Amino acid sequence: MSGHAALARGPVTRPAGVPKAPSKLPKTLGMLTTLAVLLLCIWAVDAPWSRLLDAPSAFADYLRLMSEGVFANPTLEPQRDYWVTAGEAMLESLQMAWVGTMIGAVLSFPVAFLAARTISPAPVVAVTRMLLNVIRAIPELIIAIAIMMPIFGFGPLAGALALGVGSVGTLGKLSSEAIEAVEPRSVEAVSSTGGSKLQVIWWGVVPQAMPEILAFWLYRFEINIRAGAILGALGAGGIGSILSQVFRLRNWEQVGVTLAVIIIVTVIVDQISARVRHRIIAGPKGAASEHRDPVAEMG
Amino acid sequence: MTTTAPGLKAPSGSRPPKPGPRWAVWIGIAVAALISVYCLVAIEFTLEPLVTNLTNGQVVIEQFLNPNWEFVWRVRDQWLVTLEIAIIASLVGCAIALLLALMASKVTAPTALYRVMKIVLAIQRSLPDLAWVLMFAAIVGTGPLAGILALIMFNIGVAAKLTAESIDAVDPGPVEAAQAVGATGMQRARVAVVPQVMPSFVSYSFYVFELNIRASLVIGIGGGGGIGEVIRVQLASFNFENISAIVVALVVVVFILDQLSRTIRRRLI
Repeated sequence: MSGHAALARGPVTRPAGVPKAPSKLPKTLGMLTTLAVLLLCIWAVDAPWSRLLDAPSAFADYLRLMSEGVFANPTLEPQRDYWVTAGEAMLESLQMAWVGTMIGAVLSFPVAFLAARTISPAPVVAVTRMLLNVIRAIPELIIAIAIMMPIFGFGPLAGALALGVGSVGTLGKLSSEAIEAVEPRSVEAVSSTGGSKLQVIWWGVVPQAMPEILAFWLYRFEINIRAGAILGALGAGGIGSILSQVFRLRNWEQVGVTLAVIIIVTVIVDQISARVRHRIIAGPKGAASEHRDPVAEMG
Repeated sequence: MTTTAPGLKAPSGSRPPKPGPRWAVWIGIAVAALISVYCLVAIEFTLEPLVTNLTNGQVVIEQFLNPNWEFVWRVRDQWLVTLEIAIIASLVGCAIALLLALMASKVTAPTALYRVMKIVLAIQRSLPDLAWVLMFAAIVGTGPLAGILALIMFNIGVAAKLTAESIDAVDPGPVEAAQAVGATGMQRARVAVVPQVMPSFVSYSFYVFELNIRASLVIGIGGGGGIGEVIRVQLASFNFENISAIVVALVVVVFILDQLSRTIRRRLI
């Protein structure tokens, strides 16, 4: 460090090869602007910031009550009832998410081929993509409120259908990108032997794109488990309805048990899903490099 | 395989042997099919209401198709609140996430610490945004503060995971160089790791901000203030025309932000 400083002291001692340090001005300006925006927002928003002072002690109290619920003997009432209620609701959430993902997968699979530039003519691609973008833009909870719950009533079916329609948007987009990215040589090989368009797709494209598409389906399943929570709070069944109920009653022991069930089940399902996804993408020997989650586009 | 073995020269023109049946694939398909049937039965899947009950939905859908545009402007204050909540939550959340991400990568943290942090983050990420907002609404009362705190927790989960993965993938060269001149763990993180992940970190931050705008419906319905709160009130009085207008406006806002952040990201990277 000191040697460096000595070099930088005068232009005479600086050897010709040492470049000048880049200007730090843009970085500093960016930081200052960000900070100013943050402060402006904190000042503008009408939030009772002083309550933050009491929050830690309140949180500690609630946390104690919650853990009392979690670590109490689960075979006794009422804890037994808490665990059973939360477990059943979580199971319903999983069912809802699975069916939603299934619907999304079944609908998005053919749509993805229509939206792939390498497969379909340009006008079809444009129309399909626009449709997918529109679906992606509409929040699932609006699909549930506006269409599914009035027609299918309250319950997990309406939730599953809303998740399913919502899944078509992201799955269709990501799958079509996977289809466009297949290696063209095997596609050419099939078409050179006189394969029809369908045969080319089935033998040339699908085997290559399928692992990635399957991984997207599994990933969407993980997302749908979380997305289902808000639908439940609005009356679509599952863990969300229990969650909003127990918070409203401020029964902290039951809150603790319900959150514990969510955490345990979600973490286990995520782990299994991540393993299966890795196995699908990397193959039995795990030869392929670590596959990155497409999380940044899943929303 | 046999064709490549020495001494076993296959006659030219013969086909390679057909690969055997792939049991793993068939077992996977069977398991998935079984789970699917079980789930379909469990939630009593039927499309019958689509035929028998369509008129019931028609009323609501018609209201949704006639948005009350005036309403969008009438609740302009709440739009601002949503924007402010999202900005505060994404800036604070991402800043915390960067620190946690440095602790959750094997490049920058000792093995024990990074194992623990991975578990902490997995648990933290498993809770849905609704759980966070309900929790903070109970602690600090309903309103924007609860929304900000809930979104901060939610953002930490998303941004820390993505950034930790970027840190895992940094070029080890600069890190080793820093280590070779005697840099401590902190110094290594500052001069060799953070500059490398900065572009992707900034791009994740924009993505998180966009997610926060999208999440404003859930946040408001759970009691976190902003435009979602308006939706909750309108939902309780079945004013679907108002909700529809808000949602369309929200979609437009998200679209504009998406384009904007894409332009900024492209300039940064």
